[in-house]
Amino acid sequence: MKIWRKKWQGDKGSVDLIQLVVGLMIISIAAVGTLKALYWGYEQLDFQMRHRKAISIARSHVEYLQGRLHSDFDETRFQDAALKAGNITNPLIKLLDERDPSIDYDNIYCEVSHYGLEPINDPQTKGTDFWKIRVYVRWDEPGTNSAVPLNKVFFEARMVPSGS
Amino acid sequence: MIGNRKGLSRDGGFTFIEVTLTIVIVSIMVLGLTIILLAFREHLDRSWSVRVMDQYGNDVIERLTHELRNAVDVSIRSGIGNTHEINISYLEPNYLDRTYLIRWRADLRNCQITVNNDAVDPAFPPRKLSKGESFEILQFTLSKYGEITPDIEEHIDASLRNEMFLNATYDIRFKLRYNRDTLSPGQNDWSFEKSYSNRVYLRNMNLPIRRQLEAD
Repeated sequence: MKIWRKKWQGDKGSVDLIQLVVGLMIISIAAVGTLKALYWGYEQLDFQMRHRKAISIARSHVEYLQGRLHSDFDETRFQDAALKAGNITNPLIKLLDERDPSIDYDNIYCEVSHYGLEPINDPQTKGTDFWKIRVYVRWDEPGTNSAVPLNKVFFEARMVPSGS
Repeated sequence: MIGNRKGLSRDGGFTFIEVTLTIVIVSIMVLGLTIILLAFREHLDRSWSVRVMDQYGNDVIERLTHELRNAVDVSIRSGIGNTHEINISYLEPNYLDRTYLIRWRADLRNCQITVNNDAVDPAFPPRKLSKGESFEILQFTLSKYGEITPDIEEHIDASLRNEMFLNATYDIRFKLRYNRDTLSPGQNDWSFEKSYSNRVYLRNMNLPIRRQLEAD
């Protein structure tokens, strides 16, 4: 037994088992670290792409509201009263990111909503000068598990009423 | 000299067990690492291509949206496949009673969107695609609000809107596909489709400047 232990521990000029294991562990940790860093970088690029898409969705919703205010809006109509009140409590659900099913799991959806449309009146002019529009797009990034979506895009715009 | 040779033959190297153990462990590690690296490379290649596709899709949509926002009129003709030829009229900045046209269309052969026959992005599709890789344009359309939409609520909403709104609100839809055909037997072809869309309200359609042009 003593001789066997001596063989493992006492060799000169060669690599012992501990050195081998430690060496392999260092290589493994370095490899895993490098791969993780690459993967994280790619995830960040995906996040930037989703952020850009969210801005585009917000812009589309603003365009719709601007169009309505400019050419198809009457405060006395019931459906337009609902549009004016906003839909913060009842947001629209839109597809934000269509993901590759062979790599990722689920598509990512976002909530699109706007605050109440606010008429801005200059006391020196007659009627509504313009409308203030505020649009929110909110979504959850993969891996987050919160009750309220954490990622948000906020857009503020204005539109003159029709006939201006 | 004799002492030195003695030292070499007696000890100072690997034992047979050490060498065998090392070879076995290193072989398993190299094999595992190779498999992981190959799978990772495939993942990177695919996601890089999808990202290139994303970039192009978003660029086309953003540029067309920007141009439509400044247009005074737009006309749409059917193109090849599920595509439209879009003619956008702008006001001539130096002569406010004249317009000029810009033509957008999909070049399905080269998988490019062109503006007056110039590619929107000459770098797409990438020059150095590997064997089996290709991109396709599946849809490039501009339609009035609620006409072509996967959302039934938008379709219902469109039926309630007036002509002024419908004549000025357009949806751009752009759909691309990335194909990755396998060259080795036993593996499956892979493809991925992605849709890009945006909405734009052509405010100039309902402004006095437009009515003046119609009168002229």
